[in-house]
Amino acid sequence: MNKEARLKATINQKLTETGERERLKELLRAKLTECGWKDQMKAQCKEVIKEKGLEHVTVEDLVVEITPKGRALVPDSVKKELLQRIRAFLTQHAS
Amino acid sequence: MATSLMQMPKNSLIRGTWGLKPSTPNAPAGCSHVNGYKVDNWRQNLRVIYQCFVWSGTAETRRRKAKSCICHMCGAHLNRLHSCLYCVFFGCFTKKHIHEHAKNKRHNLAIDLLYGGIYCFVCQDYIYDKDMEQIAKEEQRKAWKLVSVHSTGIGEKYTTWEPTKRELELFRHNPKRRKITTNCTIGLRGLINLGNTCFMNCIVQALTHTPLLRDFFLSDRHKCEMQSNSCLVCEMSQLFQEFYSGHRSPHIPFRLLHLVWTHARHLAGYEQQDAHEFLIAALDVLHRHCKGDTINDNGKKTNNPNHCNCIIDQIFTGGLQSDVTCQVCHGVSTTIDPFWDISLDLPGSPTPFWPLSPGGDGSTVNGENHLSGSTTLTDCLRRFTRPEHLGSNAKIKCGGCHSYQESTKQLTMKKLPIVACFHLKRFEHSAKLRRKITTYVSFPLELDMTPFMASSKESRVNGQYQQSVDVLNNDNKYSLFAVVNHQGTLESGHYTSFIRQHKDQWFKCDDAIITKASIKDVLDSEGYLLFYHKQFLEYE
Repeated sequence: MNKEARLKATINQKLTETGERERLKELLRAKLTECGWKDQMKAQCKEVIKEKGLEHVTVEDLVVEITPKGRALVPDSVKKELLQRIRAFLTQHAS
Repeated sequence: MATSLMQMPKNSLIRGTWGLKPSTPNAPAGCSHVNGYKVDNWRQNLRVIYQCFVWSGTAETRRRKAKSCICHMCGAHLNRLHSCLYCVFFGCFTKKHIHEHAKNKRHNLAIDLLYGGIYCFVCQDYIYDKDMEQIAKEEQRKAWKLVSVHSTGIGEKYTTWEPTKRELELFRHNPKRRKITTNCTIGLRGLINLGNTCFMNCIVQALTHTPLLRDFFLSDRHKCEMQSNSCLVCEMSQLFQEFYSGHRSPHIPFRLLHLVWTHARHLAGYEQQDAHEFLIAALDVLHRHCKGDTINDNGKKTNNPNHCNCIIDQIFTGGLQSDVTCQVCHGVSTTIDPFWDISLDLPGSPTPFWPLSPGGDGSTVNGENHLSGSTTLTDCLRRFTRPEHLGSNAKIKCGGCHSYQESTKQLTMKKLPIVACFHLKRFEHSAKLRRKITTYVSFPLELDMTPFMASSKESRVNGQYQQSVDVLNNDNKYSLFAVVNHQGTLESGHYTSFIRQHKDQWFKCDDAIITKASIKDVLDSEGYLLFYHKQFLEYE
């Protein structure tokens, strides 16, 4: 694993150990619901389901179709806020 | 009992119990391949997996998860990591490392470490086994409780609604679905005037369009404990059913009128009554009937009215703070009283009006129009919350000075209700004359109550409000959703109302006649009762 990957892994470890990862997930969930992103994604999922048919569609179909759209539609303000939180956390736990 | 099905959320689309076997609702939703897993002590094993690797609640499990949850093939912690259910193996889903493991070892079940879903490699999809789902839900709740103690403001974890067996049955027996579009007129219905009952009709229109109240009744949240048939809350519930039934003919509210006459005797009779009085009386009766207590023969209530948590109190009750300051020792005596509405004096009334904010300085606290000299709602609120010298004839016994002293009194909002109702005191009933004050008062679509809060009091100097830095506080922002107007004189007048249907669609309700209205129509109207709804709702 290269240096960047190792850094990511370390950060992830710290976030998981302290439970901060779960809290951040909930915060993100709330923010994405507030700004309507969740509803947009639901609508997109419905489109895919209509396309593929209710009896044949799999979770994988949805993941493949929705993931790129979902990533693109996250508002910058939400990204900023999460990054801020993570940065603050890292500053606090710098060792 | 029929439930209002059009309110059902749209997420009931894909669930194992819903789509797979509609003819046998009791059949397990998962796949048969889990049967190979469900042997011996599988429940406990599964719980351990959830606790250790999916939703780690304790510090120890979190540490273990942080260290061990990486792909056994490539070491990554991302890529939708899955754990094999049959052995200790973690593998990426995206890179198909877990798929390889499943094929090689013939271990055909894995669990998604991010969301806890169970994947079957034979079915090639996530499956929803009822027993396993139950365990997942419990473990998730347990873990969340442990994590959330460390953070403020995040309470019970939000879980999406899942229909119960009974609800699924109701869905099957009632296949008709109603789609709510932006232009639909559902919820709009005229009300027949039963003889000067427009005062009641306009309030009913306002109440049936109060979002939280509507949601309460359409979700059948009222459990009636009254023995007789005279529960006003039940009647309100019925009224909501009528309004959202889709019938376009006007409704005849004779039962409602009869109940009002029974419970609020002072409003009985076919004379024109005051809409504001009716509002307060209606809220009072609803509040009493909500508690489900039976009023015995003496008319005594069994519950403490100050600690009620009924829907009426939740929505309409605010707290008004009254501070009396002794002019000698400057000691402050504070009381907080509950209120359902704020009655505001208008210019032209016997009591002198506070100097108007100069129209020329362009100050627009709430974006109201200052057609030079016209009064705004904010002006009225400013006047309502200004410190008032009580004069030498009204000395207060001061607790600090132990004697009667002159004092000033000031009213501010301690706690804001979710729905704020402003009553413009247009009807003057003084000893000398009875008249209607028709002064135009402009009111805004969006209102920020921050300047009138008890907490903002300190930022006032010389009675002039200084813009608070606390602009980020969304908790005090309100949106207009209903306006009740009175046309005519005290002797013969007529009430109508404007109500907001969707974000920017307004309708005029004139008894049985409902017409589309523009925002300008609404804002140009005289205004007698103004209903504002909080823009942001916080959990308790």
